[in-house]
Amino acid sequence: MKAISELNLPEDVRYTDDHEWAKKIGDVVRMGISDYAQDQLGDIVFVELPEVGSSFDKGEEFGTVESVKAVSELYMPIGGEVTAINDALADAPELVNSDPYDGGWMMEIKASDPAELEALKSKADYLDILKG
Amino acid sequence: MKNNNKPPCWWVDLPETDYPKALDLQLVVVTAKTAGRLEADVILSVEHPRVFTLGRRGGRENLCVSDDFLAEKGVSVVPTDRGGNITYHGPGQLVVYPIIDLNRRRLKVVDFVSGLEQAMIRTAANWGIDAGTDPANRGVWLDGDKLGSIGITVRRGVSFHGLALNVNTDMEPFGWINPCGLNKVRMTSFERHLNGPVAMSDARQCMAENLAAVFGNPLTIRSVEQLYAEIELGD
Repeated sequence: MKAISELNLPEDVRYTDDHEWAKKIGDVVRMGISDYAQDQLGDIVFVELPEVGSSFDKGEEFGTVESVKAVSELYMPIGGEVTAINDALADAPELVNSDPYDGGWMMEIKASDPAELEALKSKADYLDILKG
Repeated sequence: MKNNNKPPCWWVDLPETDYPKALDLQLVVVTAKTAGRLEADVILSVEHPRVFTLGRRGGRENLCVSDDFLAEKGVSVVPTDRGGNITYHGPGQLVVYPIIDLNRRRLKVVDFVSGLEQAMIRTAANWGIDAGTDPANRGVWLDGDKLGSIGITVRRGVSFHGLALNVNTDMEPFGWINPCGLNKVRMTSFERHLNGPVAMSDARQCMAENLAAVFGNPLTIRSVEQLYAEIELGD
């Protein structure tokens, strides 16, 4: 288990209280779960993601991850329509553990309100939550 | 205001309860907690009439008997959203549903699951049964056979579903499935290991004490009526 100081928390993504991250890449917003989230879940054995084309509001459940006999729900950092999902996770869900911000990204969406992304937490604000 | 102090934790013994009815109660408690209407964490303790339950990712393929056979035996198959694969619940099995705000307790999912395993191991040890964990497969094992299982869901940081420990469980229905999706796993029980049954009330009390010890939190006993009253008051 990682200490807070050992967590990989990039400066160039935004975070939520539920430990998801989101990052603008061109016209879309890519999202996944943070290093803290993957660490506390343990070995991830399955990632359940929605169909491309489905739409969700901010905070809505979009999928689940299963680890150590535990199914944990995932929540939208911001609202939007799913434009891509990371197909690699079907065969290699452990990428979420080993590489949560790159190889372990979960999906990309077209944001319904770009201002929602700006309202998410910076690394510093997210660290404050983790430190309690 | 920092809100990471430990909330009260209630232990609620239910009578033998149908699986769907007990799941409904869990969801009422989960919803009350995620909506901020119930501060206390709640641990439900129950035995179910015979039932097979599936995990979020299914497990029906691990059912080895026909629907007609199950209908004849009066055993239903209930899909659920918990982790893990198919399992069996029935009388004599101690089922515990800890509905715990893991976020508030700063309890990691991996540590929570390990804690549930430890509580089962300590409960078995009370009867001189030397159970342990298996690094490859979650749950609690005894000489290569499975004594207790875990399957949970985490919603908005609150856990539900839980653990099932075979105390005096009738083992025959486990023969109708590949439990947990593991081929050729053999299940065992306190009763089988000790060549005689254990009083369920003793097993429940022992489990309550061990959960309190493992998670460092005293438990307060509440009736299910008191639980409902508390949730309604919070409306």
